[in-house]
Amino acid sequence: MEQIAVVNVVLLISGLLVLLGIASSLIATRFGAPLLLVFLVLGMLAGEDGPGHIAFSDYRLTYLIGSLALAIILFDGGLRTNLTKLRGAVGPAIAMATVGVITTAGLAGAVATYIFDIPYLQGLLLGAIVASTDAAAVFFMLHAGGIQLRQRVGAVIEMESATNDPVAVFMTAILVEIILAHGAMSGGGVETAIAIAGRLTMEASIGLVGGLLGGFAASWTLNRINLPGGLHPLLVIATAVVIFSLTAVLHGSGFLAVYVAGLILGNRPMRAAASIVTVNDAATWLCQIVMFLVLGLLVSPTRLLAVLAPAAILSAFLIIFARPMAVWLCLTPFKFSNSEKGFVSWVGLRGAVSIFLAAIPTLSGVPGADLYFNVAFVVVIMSLIVQGWSLTFAARKLDVALPRVTAPARRVELDLPGQLTLEMVGYPVASSSAIMNGGTLPRWARPAFVIRNEAVVMPAESGALQVNDTAYYLAPPARAAQLDTLFAEHTELLSTDEPFFGEFLFDGTVPLKELAGFYALNLGPAMADMTIAALFSSRFDDSPEVGDHLRMGTAVIVAREVSEGVVTRAGLQLAASPEDAAVSTVRAGFSRLRRLVGLR
Amino acid sequence: MEIRDILQPEAVVAGLKAPNKKQALQELARHAAAVTGLNERKIFETVLERERLGTTGVGSGIAIPHGKLPELTRLYAVFARLEKPIDFDAIDEQPVDLIFLLLAPESAGADHLKALARVSRLLRDASMCEKLRGAKTADGLYLLLTQTEAQAA
Repeated sequence: MEQIAVVNVVLLISGLLVLLGIASSLIATRFGAPLLLVFLVLGMLAGEDGPGHIAFSDYRLTYLIGSLALAIILFDGGLRTNLTKLRGAVGPAIAMATVGVITTAGLAGAVATYIFDIPYLQGLLLGAIVASTDAAAVFFMLHAGGIQLRQRVGAVIEMESATNDPVAVFMTAILVEIILAHGAMSGGGVETAIAIAGRLTMEASIGLVGGLLGGFAASWTLNRINLPGGLHPLLVIATAVVIFSLTAVLHGSGFLAVYVAGLILGNRPMRAAASIVTVNDAATWLCQIVMFLVLGLLVSPTRLLAVLAPAAILSAFLIIFARPMAVWLCLTPFKFSNSEKGFVSWVGLRGAVSIFLAAIPTLSGVPGADLYFNVAFVVVIMSLIVQGWSLTFAARKLDVALPRVTAPARRVELDLPGQLTLEMVGYPVASSSAIMNGGTLPRWARPAFVIRNEAVVMPAESGALQVNDTAYYLAPPARAAQLDTLFAEHTELLSTDEPFFGEFLFDGTVPLKELAGFYALNLGPAMADMTIAALFSSRFDDSPEVGDHLRMGTAVIVAREVSEGVVTRAGLQLAASPEDAAVSTVRAGFSRLRRLVGLR
Repeated sequence: MEIRDILQPEAVVAGLKAPNKKQALQELARHAAAVTGLNERKIFETVLERERLGTTGVGSGIAIPHGKLPELTRLYAVFARLEKPIDFDAIDEQPVDLIFLLLAPESAGADHLKALARVSRLLRDASMCEKLRGAKTADGLYLLLTQTEAQAA
């Protein structure tokens, strides 16, 4: 009976902690605090030194939870990534995941050896633990700020974080082995290096193959076997866990495998896609909350204090020197601009992976393993605070985000069983949406019905859409999300009493130079020879959307019709409100100042 | 920026006769030449050049052709109500019967945009357009175009 009582208490505490995590997300978003940090702090507060007084020191359980959570987060990250968006990012990401991680680990290791006054091998181990960026943190933070990064930069950062864990895990494991063997392997340096490289290649290859096979198998199974509705998402998550663990059992990189499997599955037609994405979303949230809570619980904040100062120095070195060095080394051959490299350097977010890698020495019984764990913890907290908090700001400053504010779409998606080519999507109709202001529906979207005043109205009777309708369409799943732009709220386009798409309409082929003459547009030097379509393509990374707009002097150009990623028609809003004009003048002044100082 | 600052009573025409867009623009250019003292052909070509970039038929039977001329020292406008609506390649493909021509000096910049926005806002008002279509004389049109803004202000 006592056993049962204990179980119930443990369940009660766990449930309460997750509830607290969810509640704190409300507060955190209001202050713009990085949510993962909030979960971590919550865990620390609940832990032995906080008001919660929960004594938790089970490294093995933490490792288990961490592995499971990371596998699911990485899988979800792959699932959401559009393969075509990875174009041009694979090479740089792989360079960063290999050369980048090793460089960072080496530099951080050297400094750690000096700061903590430990043997070089142990310093290097510490370097390896904090060398890789964290997929959980990166996937989460990049999408939390409402910004949309330029495709190449975003793809490199995401892909790097998803693929660098194997290298860091491997380095950590090898170094632990060497330290435990008291440097016995340090004899034949070159031979050892070759052996290590060989094993690393082996692990990565097995991981890649495992992910490919697993992904295709999952896709095939999902689309061919009939299951009761609720089981599809579960099938996918369970498959991900199997792919991860089986690959790891076969001495491959499980992390690489789940990410690749997610990429494959997410880029093929998928039955029950809507429910899978929804459930995965919830699962990923739960993983983030539980993983960071548990890591927070595991640490003893009072023991952190002992290493706080030196660990903070190491962290600063990582942020200011080691990471930028590695990024410069890896990305320069791929012709990234300075601001792009600057941003990638700044977004070297450390997270659960580092803390979790720090558990390996403890689990393996390396003497003085506490040090690694506590230092990793401080480094992660520093990274979440300094880099996490400033991420959106840095993206805007370094001009690596698209000039667009993304409001989350309130799309309802319904799977249509029996076929994979169409799904149903529904949107609430807002007065400030493009569709209510002259935007046109693409041909491939077929109106299904409208919900108006709680009644279903068929297209034949509904007439024009009205505000507060909910409109439903049949659309190919791959394109359905493109409707988001038509229904998104664009209050900033209605800041004056001018029409949403402006007074005058122009073809995308009109050269900007000719427009500039009539409307006093401020054209930058590179823009003089562009057409309207080319301008939108360059500023919105070849994927402009209806409602995207660019201010040029007092006028604003608004994309009105977009076909196959090219703006075919654009409107011109003539006069911005006076306040806006003042703000843009100040901004222009600042950018001139920046150019003077030579920052750009 | 007020309409009465740029539109003179003699630049308002009720019942302009023109069979098509080109001739309507030619007629407007002739009236504009009379108030500005500039070459009619020059005005016509400037306005036509702007139409080539995209129509100024903004919908609901309204067109706002415009252009910049280096010889001008201030903004000038001509307003015409056509006797019969004509095809103007308008955005909504509806025939046009109310045309507001706006000419600006080369250096006008923001003033030019403000004036265009002002005219566009005035003619977007459906009840205004209804009154303009019902007015009998050019004087009536002029009063409508200039009075409303005094009330609004």
